[in-house]
Amino acid sequence: MNILAMLWNNLRGGSRTMLFPERPKVTKGFRGLVRFDPALCTGCAICKMRCTARAIDFKSGKGTFTWSYDPGQCTFCGRCVDGCKSHALSQDAECPPVYVTIGALKTAYTVARKPAPKPASASPAVKPAPGGTA
Amino acid sequence: MNLWNKLMCYSRRRSPWLFHMNGGSCNGCDIELIASLTPRYDAEQLGVRLEGSPRHADILCVTGPITHNAVNAIKTVYGQVCGPKAVVAIGSCPATTNVFIDSRTLDGPLNKHLPVDVFVPGCPPRPDAIILGVAKAAEILANRAANKIPVEPVVMALAGSECGEACACAATPDADKVAVPAANEVKP
Amino acid sequence: MNLNLTTALARFLIFPGLLFAVPAAWFLLWVERKAVALMQGRIGPPFMQPFFDFVKLLGKDTPPRVGAAGMLMKLWPLIAVSAAAGAVGLLPVLPSSGGFEGDLILLLALLELPSMCIIAAGFSSRSIFGEIGSAREAVLSVAYNVVFLLAIVSIAASQHTFRLEALAQLPASPLRWLGVLAILVCLPAKLHLNPFSLPNAEQEIYSGPMTEYAGPELAMWELSHGLEWVAATGLVATLAAPHVGLVWLAVLLFLALSFAVVLLLSVVAAATARLAIDTTVRFYWQVTLIFAVLAVSSALFMRLLS
Repeated sequence: MNILAMLWNNLRGGSRTMLFPERPKVTKGFRGLVRFDPALCTGCAICKMRCTARAIDFKSGKGTFTWSYDPGQCTFCGRCVDGCKSHALSQDAECPPVYVTIGALKTAYTVARKPAPKPASASPAVKPAPGGTA
Repeated sequence: MNLWNKLMCYSRRRSPWLFHMNGGSCNGCDIELIASLTPRYDAEQLGVRLEGSPRHADILCVTGPITHNAVNAIKTVYGQVCGPKAVVAIGSCPATTNVFIDSRTLDGPLNKHLPVDVFVPGCPPRPDAIILGVAKAAEILANRAANKIPVEPVVMALAGSECGEACACAATPDADKVAVPAANEVKP
Repeated sequence: MNLNLTTALARFLIFPGLLFAVPAAWFLLWVERKAVALMQGRIGPPFMQPFFDFVKLLGKDTPPRVGAAGMLMKLWPLIAVSAAAGAVGLLPVLPSSGGFEGDLILLLALLELPSMCIIAAGFSSRSIFGEIGSAREAVLSVAYNVVFLLAIVSIAASQHTFRLEALAQLPASPLRWLGVLAILVCLPAKLHLNPFSLPNAEQEIYSGPMTEYAGPELAMWELSHGLEWVAATGLVATLAAPHVGLVWLAVLLFLALSFAVVLLLSVVAAATARLAIDTTVRFYWQVTLIFAVLAVSSALFMRLLS
């Protein structure tokens, strides 16, 4: 008679269904679409190397580079985010959207390379010690 | 459009019957598809029924990157689904073969063989995303019956949560456009 | 009052025939789906769902059918719908609806026809799934029909009447309740519900014999399934209802009892899983044996008394 008790509890307790189009909140640490911050990117292309699905593409241009990402190809593993030393990549904490045209979610950014930091010409810091050991 | 056609469009949107085919998937997406029929997500509230025969279904849900073994089966079953029909590619695999890109056991993404109407990305996509994809496919069927092309993002507006004005489904951004990064970003 | 042509047409087409039975069929299909869903902790389909399913199916293409088998495939769903609608039309819902001697036999025959059509349809479809489904349906049909027919015919024979109206107006007796119980035991098998839903292969709508059906033909099969619901639950309702003189009260009682029977069947369907064919057949033959003994002995007893 256990099953009848279960059915009665279900009838009494109401349904646990989320009415469409309500969606449940995703868990903490959910890995969604990858977001790119061009201000932080140094152009090392480690993300392209680490990407398991070849969703990230990196092309070098003259003084610029183009970072492109195809969420349709992505498997949302997060290796790119983990490997980015400058924390330019992050993942959305929500589900990727549904789309109808192939390639609809692709994004691409062309970023100008930052000039390399030059060492300061007159540095007041290091003076060789007179006659001391190195 | 006369009354019968209006009723037919409305019924097509309110009664999407699915047939599920596995094109070589790891079964993650298949499990999430079945999970969408469980009490928490309850696809039946939209009238969705998982059917046992392709002849009964309107919407063919395909999972998996299409392996060589699966190609003929999927094409045959697509032919057996009676029109009007729609195809939903569930997961990233049927859309782009995902991590199995360039594998020699595969025969291309799904849209190499069938016209795909809706892509539900994710690895695996959550059951609520799958239900949203199926609802969108039902919407497409209804609009096709009404001869309205292209499909307006009505479902996304109903969803409310994700889509704002710029809907990913309606716009296809240019992937190699050189521009200021912030303006090039596509909001979900 | 005997049944003349106008009354017969009115009962077949209007009440309780097609005009009432088709919306009632959709309503009962919805009640079953909704009740099972609520008991499973879900919310289930919206109220108009069976109607939307029906309209949508009318708008789909059918695969091309060739030859005599194709023509037969188109025929079976129509026969099933007409038989089920006729069975509903014969039910003595209204107190003075008339009837004719032997309409009980006609009702039982008409209630059998949809199952026969399903069996024939599975074989006509020339698909192996259809053949397996039809074979299962045939085995199941033989098993539960023995109980079903035995129970009803023995009640009728003991009361010296084969007229539905007379049977419905009988005072309550243990034999009548026995008959109602027998019908209730057979209904899950007749209506393809758990635990005896074997011919469906796996879905609520028969997928075994129905595998090759699509579009408007499938809509007709769904409709015949709904009408079978109305006829079967209506039969239980008319046999179980006490006889009242007022028309509106009779109709209300009929509807309420049908609703109650549907809820009971939904509880059974939600609480059980599908049984395999050998268990199902064994169950029915065992029940048959018990009912045979009970029914024959009570029939003899009643005839001895009268």
